[in-house]
Parts: sequence; structure tokens; C-alpha cells
Amino acid sequence: MPSGTGKTISLLSLTVAYQNFYADKRKIVYCSRTVPEIDKALAELKRLNKYRNENGCPDEGFLGIGLTSRRNLCKVVDARCRSMTSPWVRARAQNNEPDIELCSLFENLSTSPESMLMPSGVYTMDDLRDFGGLKNFCPYYLARKMISVADVVIYSYHYMLDPKLNELVSHEFSKNSIVIFDEAHNIDGICIDSLSIDVNLDKLESSTRSVDRLIDIIADVKKNDASKLQEEYNILLEGLKESANARDNDMVIENPILPDDLLKEAVPGNIRKAEHFVLFLKRFVEYVKARMRVMHVVAETPSSFLQHLKEVTFIDKKPLQFCSQRLASLVRTLEINDLEDYWGLQKIASFATLISTYDEGFVVLFEPFESESSTVPNPILHLACLDAAIAMQPVVNRFDTVVITSGTLSPIDMYPKMLKIKAAVTESYTMTLTRSCFLPMIVTRGSDQVSMSSKFEVRNDPAVVRNFGFLLVEMSKVVPDGLVAFFPSYLYMESIVAMWNEMGILKLIYKNKLIFIETPSTAETSLALESYRKACENGRGAVLFSVARGKVSEGVDFTDNYGRAVIMFGIPYQYTESRILKARLEFLRENYQIRENDFLAFDAIRHAAQCVGRVLRGKTDYGLMIFADKRYARMDKRSKLPSWINSHISEEMSNLSTDMAVSSSKHFLKSMAQTFDQSLQLGTSLWSPEDILQRKKLKSN
Amino acid sequence: MSSKPNDAVIDLDEQLLKEQEVGYTWEEEYKRSWDTLQEDENGSLQNAVATLNKKLKLKRKIKDKQASQRGLLRYCYIVFDCSTNTSERDLRPSRLELTLQVIEAFVLEFFEQNPLSQLGIIVVRDGLAKKLTELSSNPTDHIKALRDKQCRDPSGSMSLQNALLIAMNILRQVPNYGSREIFGILGSLTSNDPGDINQTISEIKNEKIRISIVQMAAEVQLFKKACTLTGGVFSVAMNEIHFRELVLNFIIPPPILLEMYNTHLVEMGFSIRVYDQIPTFCSCHHKLTLSGYLCPRCKSKVCSLPVICGVCQLSLIVSPHLSRSYHHLFPTISYKEISTPEVSINCDGCLDSLVNLKHNLSSGGSNFDSDTTRKHEDVFQCPNCKKNYCLSCDIFIHETLHNCPGCVNMSNSLQN
Repeated sequence: MPSGTGKTISLLSLTVAYQNFYADKRKIVYCSRTVPEIDKALAELKRLNKYRNENGCPDEGFLGIGLTSRRNLCKVVDARCRSMTSPWVRARAQNNEPDIELCSLFENLSTSPESMLMPSGVYTMDDLRDFGGLKNFCPYYLARKMISVADVVIYSYHYMLDPKLNELVSHEFSKNSIVIFDEAHNIDGICIDSLSIDVNLDKLESSTRSVDRLIDIIADVKKNDASKLQEEYNILLEGLKESANARDNDMVIENPILPDDLLKEAVPGNIRKAEHFVLFLKRFVEYVKARMRVMHVVAETPSSFLQHLKEVTFIDKKPLQFCSQRLASLVRTLEINDLEDYWGLQKIASFATLISTYDEGFVVLFEPFESESSTVPNPILHLACLDAAIAMQPVVNRFDTVVITSGTLSPIDMYPKMLKIKAAVTESYTMTLTRSCFLPMIVTRGSDQVSMSSKFEVRNDPAVVRNFGFLLVEMSKVVPDGLVAFFPSYLYMESIVAMWNEMGILKLIYKNKLIFIETPSTAETSLALESYRKACENGRGAVLFSVARGKVSEGVDFTDNYGRAVIMFGIPYQYTESRILKARLEFLRENYQIRENDFLAFDAIRHAAQCVGRVLRGKTDYGLMIFADKRYARMDKRSKLPSWINSHISEEMSNLSTDMAVSSSKHFLKSMAQTFDQSLQLGTSLWSPEDILQRKKLKSN
Repeated sequence: MSSKPNDAVIDLDEQLLKEQEVGYTWEEEYKRSWDTLQEDENGSLQNAVATLNKKLKLKRKIKDKQASQRGLLRYCYIVFDCSTNTSERDLRPSRLELTLQVIEAFVLEFFEQNPLSQLGIIVVRDGLAKKLTELSSNPTDHIKALRDKQCRDPSGSMSLQNALLIAMNILRQVPNYGSREIFGILGSLTSNDPGDINQTISEIKNEKIRISIVQMAAEVQLFKKACTLTGGVFSVAMNEIHFRELVLNFIIPPPILLEMYNTHLVEMGFSIRVYDQIPTFCSCHHKLTLSGYLCPRCKSKVCSLPVICGVCQLSLIVSPHLSRSYHHLFPTISYKEISTPEVSINCDGCLDSLVNLKHNLSSGGSNFDSDTTRKHEDVFQCPNCKKNYCLSCDIFIHETLHNCPGCVNMSNSLQN
């Protein structure tokens, strides 16, 4: 169901009630997608806490807190944070060395006793900043400190799924915590992204530079303070021990692999010495560079990559596995503050560690050209994770209770399959509405009865393009204010808009509404969005052309007049010629018995559902959802739509032509514009306490 | 609510017909109207029909009207849309034709019920707004202007801002005790404005002008905002009947805005009708006429009332004008629904028995058990004079008569 219908608050109130009922007070870890969503969830939690306090459930010491990146919380300058809070800088400052600037906020926080830090309550991001300002604490580190004692933690799901961040942030959570993933319809994508790495020439160049600089620094240190390096060598000999204070301030280079796969043994001898390790890195970087010079596509498994590596450079698998750990240790020893300069090298080290640790579920892909047609080489080496379960497994194994929810989680049985989890309970809920405030329609043909489809064979057929165009023209006449049109890809959008321009369709639209277009550039898109909003405000009306899977389709809400209708042109299939996708499909078929077509359709429909879901934000909002492709009418596609949409597609709305769709839209918009009395919701979609008691009685009977 | 007096006699069949009159049957959605009917234990539909019937009437029964201060002196500009969008035929015969028809009816009815008010008309087309008639209280002028050929030819786009600006510039000059209103009838979903319309709207709000809009297609946020900000009403017409209803709703004067809530004394002249033997010049048209009205202050002659004297600027009226506007201020008190008393009583309006009433309505159901109906029958009682009325009489009294017969009778007998 769409947001604004109370999913978050229902989840929170249920779990918080559960938490407080039992004595063991299991911690709730609530993971959401974006910063605004986290903040919204925190606001809901705050309201819930207030309500509980007012209604006789005072929870003493209840603490709810959110965590986002340093960028959002840090009061000082983000870039200088590291150089002001790292342990060696602070140690130097304690030794009264001159000219060392420390972050007073961070110092205050670390000197005051922890138990005194925070009064109970729920802190939204603003509250946290205010509290930090009041007490002169750094809000970011305060949040980092407090999440281990908080009852409810709300943060982005990278902190949970991404092994690098999980190790830093979430390692202290106890086993009986309740982990909730909200907005999790794309959870497999995030799992995969967190374990995939792309290497391009840029990164390689930067790492070469970093390696050279490291060599210089090592030579320097050797001259001045050789004991430091010897000390490190001794530590490595004993086995890898993370120094505890380093973790306090992120002063480690993150290890990209999962904690279970970490080797609990000493670092191999050939990279123990700093200068040896740096040369080892240099050799590896040079090898990757040599691979990048190839002019044809290569796809291989990690083991064959390693095999070749060994043949050419005599680099073993074992030291490669320790690459990122060793680099982290080196950086700590050399007391390097400006880690940003070493990002390329970090990536290469992560690449090395990942490729040598995992064999199953990964593929190494080398593409010398960006697209089939381009002749200028722009080589990219992908290490692509194909198996979402790899990142999900540790979370499921570590915590007793994991909840995965979203408004568009369908078909629901696909998710346990893909993530290789056994779902204890799967439940799909429909939505109760006082008035049917959205009208999904499947438009299969134009007014001339020629069918519409974004199928590859017909997508550039003038008749199809014209019919798509006239659907938009007619809709722009009927729909007030904002209208959003989604296309399957940027490429298709460009070609269809060019053809519409030739046909004069854009001029016809322009009579009714202004036209704005989403582009891959963030700045341009936000400008377009802003102007789009303005045009909706002042009555001119506007159409926004955007792309499924784009920024608009994932994160932007079109409340009320900002979106009265969404048209989804075609089915947003992924680019099936992509080699990574092909590899993933093959993997899914062989390991999880998911057929290619099933997965592609599932993925396309969940994105389509995500797009059309943008129009409805809450139960008082209303809007049209138009699926313009004849393939939506087929049962295999329709059944994959979320049930709250599917149940509202009536038989007569599932196979419409443009003119029929227009007349139904007119009727719908008129009836929705009638004044809507909120009190009508009582008893149907809004229950008073009496209704709940009555329901309870009915159930118990 | 239809306010033509002869419409007020309600007939169930006519009402049903009207409800259905929403377009051609084959364009309508397929409705399973029989599903809403439920048979009772005896397998009869009479109960169901009676409930439906009652529902319809109750809908007409005006909700409890607070005796509020209403602006009887209204200065109102009608803005109607004549852009290409109004040539759509989703409202028959077309949006524009229907608008013109309804405005004509509206103008007549408006002056019938608001004789002290003045109207003007603005037409919007080609992105421009044009004043069709000046503010005046002469319905014939407006209707003549409306029948002009040029407003039957939709073209171009619509600009609400231009229309608002024209209306605002005139309305800000009218005396501030009057209620200033702009009433838009729009078919277009967009407004192509030369400047910032939001600013215009806030200016209008400062001038204490009220904007009300009836839209013919869908809800446009800007229009809605303009109405709610200025204290007006925004509505969207479902069909022709509903459209007419919404427009005619506007005849009832709106309650006075809170910030204008202070009393004014307005100078008015009660003019005398004269019949001259020899034709004399009237001061309004400068034509020779025999009959007319004399201004009590400057004795100049005008042709029709109400009007503002062209010589001394006095508002000229006759007493019936005042009294006709009166019922808006003092609406007839709402009747309370009471449980049917055990003893049989008659309606004090139509003298029909309140018990047998159901039988008359549902003629044909001869073997119907009258005891079961008795419990469902509605009796409405005036809280002042304690007279009982049936639903039909209640509606007639409140919509047309505007006087409770029982109360009037009582006060008469008291005087005697």
C-alpha cells in the first residue's frame, strides 16, 4: 500500500508494545531507505512515545534514536572531522604539541561519563542536533555512542547490510534484537550493490599515486622512527587485533567482506613488512592495469581470475585476502589523516579481498567499451555479486527476528527464494478505503485500436509512438495540475520524445501543460522538479517525463496536486543485453530455480508499481494510475502487481482504449473533487476505540 | 437546490428522473441498481422504496441554518470561461452553452432573491478577460449581453488572473458595506497568466473580495486555494443537474466575513411610482417615458428599480425589495423530527393524516400492514408553535414559503 497510510506507525506501535511487555526488552533496529524516511519514522516514533506516556504506559528510560551519515549531523566541517578527532592527533594534543586543532564537541563527548549523556525520549534528527548544541556534544558521535544502549534505533539499511558499515556500527547489537527492513522491495539490489565493486582507469591511476606516496612515507618513517614499523610487524605476527580506540572514530579502512569470512589467523609473511606490502600492492595494481588494456569482453569466475593472476605475477590467494586489513593497519601505523586521497587504493584493496574470499555467486566482468556502438575505449572491470543471499544471510543468522516489509512487496514468495531465507510468517494485507481514491487502468490500445506496447519489436513503430503520444495529449486535457509520465529507460524516452516532437505532439501537450524532463544529472533533475512543482502551484499545470528506476521514481512523492495521474508507458524491463544481468539471471536459474522471464517480469513490475505508487500519498489523496501497455492486461503480469493495486483493477478497466480511459478518468476526477467529509472514514477506514472493542469481541467469539 | 418556486412541489418520480438525467444511458456506467434494494421479511419492496424516498427528501431538507448576518447588498462579478476547453461536450449541449443557459437563469433568480444587489459579467477568452457588462441591477442588460453572438464562440486559453484583476479593480471601488464577490464558472483546467496569480489572490483577499468557483471538469488546486483563502466555495460539477444546482446555490447570500463584522447605516430612498400624462425624460436612459419612479431626494425620474440615482447617488428601492431579501437573514426555524405519537394526528400543513401518509405514497400496496409503517413515519415539529408537519410540507415551508404558518398564526392571534 502507498505511504501515508500508516504502515510505519503500525509496525512501530506493535513492536514497541511487544518490547515493553516482555522483561527482556529486545532492542528494535528499524532500517529504512533514505534520510527523509528515517526522519519521518523518528517523528512517528516520537508521537507514539508521547501517546504511550499520555495513556498510562510511561516507559522509563525509553530511548529512540536515529543515525545518518556524518554529513547530516556534524556541526563542524565534515572534511576536517577526521583530522581533528583521530586518536593520534588527540594523543599528540595531550602531549601538548603546538598547533593542533581538536574538535571541542567531540572532546566534550568523550570526557563526560556515558551514563549521564542523554535523558530518555525519542530524538529526531533536529532534536539530536539541538541536544548536541545545548550540551556541546558532537551529534554524530553522540548518536554513534547511544545506539548501543537505545531501545529503538532507526537508520539506513546500509548500516545493517553493508559488511563494511555493519562491522563499524552495528557489531554490538545483541542477538535477540528485532530487525525491521522497511521499504524493502529492492532489498536484493542493495545486498548485491554492497558486495559489488567496479574498477575503472580513474581508480587505478589514483591508486598508483597512493602507492607511490606510501612508499615515500614509509621511507620517511624508517629514517625517523623505525620502531613504529617494527611494533606493527610484531602485532601482525601475533595475528590481527583491532585496537579498540580506533573503532571509536571510524579510523579504519573498512573491510568489505562479512565477519564470518574473516580469517582468524596471522597475516602471511610476505606482506607483513610495510615495504613488502606496498610493493605487493603495486604489483597487483599494475596487473589490473594490464588487464584493462584488453580490447574484448571477458567474463570469468573469480577463481579463473586468480589463476591467471598467479601465473603472471605469482601473487597468491592468501595474501590477497588480507589486503584491506593490512592496508588498514598500515594507515593506522603511518598516522595518515587524509584518507580521502586514498579512496582509489581502498577500492582496489577491497576488490582484492573480495575476489579472493568469494568464489560462488560472483563474476568478474571486463568491458572495454561503454556500449556496443562506441569506439572510444572506457574500460571497466566489474566484480559483480550475483547472489543477494550472501549479504542477507549473516543478518538473518545473527538476529532472532528479522521483519521485511514494503508497500510493494509482490509477489511475496519471490523474496524468501532470492534471499535464501525461510520466512516464518508471510502476510500480505489489503487496504481499506472509504472511497476508492485511486483508479488503476490498463490502456492496451489507442483510439484507432492499434495496440500499444513497449516491446522491442514495435516500440519505435510510428503507430505505437503516436498512440502513446495521443494518450498523453488526451490525459493532459483531462487531468488537472500535475501529471507524471514514466518511461522504461532514458534511451527510449529520448527517442520517443524526439519522435513526438516531429509529429507535433509536444506542441499539443504544451497547449495544456508545461513539459519537464528528468535527466541523469541530479542538478538538472532537481531544477526540473522545482519548476514542475511551481507550475502545478500556479495553475499552469505540468507534465514530468521521468524514468522508471530513476531518482524520481524511487524517492520523490507527488502529493495532492503535484500528481493527479501517473502514466506508465510500457513495462520497465531491465536492459537485458547487460552482461551483469545475464550473469545474474543465469545464476538465479541454476541456483534458485527462478526462470529468467519470471525474474525479469517480477523486477519490471515491482518498479512499475513503485512508479505508479508515487501518485498516492495518504488516504485523502487521489489519483489515476495508467498502465499503457497491452502486456499489463495479461494475467502473468497483472498477478505480480501488489494486491492493493490489483484488487482495484476492475474487469472493465483492464483492457481500455485511449478514449474509454479518458471518459473514465473524467468521471473519476469529478467524483473525487466532491467535498470529502473526514468523518465518513469513521467505522470503515478509521476506527474508534468502540469499533476496535467490537472487533475484538467478534474475533473472540 | 432548485429555487424555482414551481419546482418546489416535490414529486418522487420527477426527482428520480432528474437524478438519472446525467447523459445518454448508453454512456453511463452499468449499474446494478436492484442490488441496493433489500426485500423485507414479507418479500415486499415497499419498505425499501419508502426509505429511498425519505432519503431523497431528507437530502433536500436544508441543514440547520444559523441565523447569521448575511450581506444583502452584494456586488458580484460573474466570470465565465469562454476558452476552447468549454467547447467540450461532456456537459450537454456543451460546457459553454450550458454555462450561458444557467447564467441566464441565475441572473433572473439572483435579482428575484437579492433585489438590492448588483451584478456584472466578465468573459475570458484568448487569454484575455473582457468586461461584458458593468455592475448593475438590471437583469435584462445582462441577459442581452449574454445572448450576444460573440460569447458563443469559444477560443484560446483562459487566464484567471486577468479576470480577477479586472473584477478587483472595479470591486475595490464599491462601498465597503457591500459584500464583494467574484463568481467564476470555469471549464478550463489551466490558467495562462501573465504574472504571479498567487499575489493577485492575496491582494484580492486584502480587498475582502470573496472568490467562489464552480469547475466543470476537475479540481484544480489553484482554484480551490483561491476560494478557500478568500472564504468562498469551490465545487466541481458532476453533471448538468449538479452544475445547475451548484450555480444556483450561489444565490443565497454568503455570511458576512468576520473581519467585516461591523454594522453600517446605509442611506436608501424609497421611491414613489409615477404615471405622467405627458412623457418626461428619465435620468437613466434620457428617453421620454410616461411611467417611472421618483427619487425622494432630488425628484429625478428613473425607469426601473432598484437603481442608484444618477443625479444624487442615492440607492433607490421599494419596500418589497427589502422584504424579499429578508428571509436570508431570518431563516425559518428548523423543525425537529419527533417520534410518532400513539394517537393519530394530522399534518398541520396539508391536513393529511400522518399515519396514512405512507399509504398514499405507496399507492397500490393495499394489503400492506399499516402498523409496521406507522413506526417509521416521520413527523416534524416546529419548536416554537409545536405544530406538526409531514416531510413534504416541511420542505415546502423552508424552501418556498420561508414562514412557519403555525408561528404566523400564533402572532396574529396574539395581536388580535
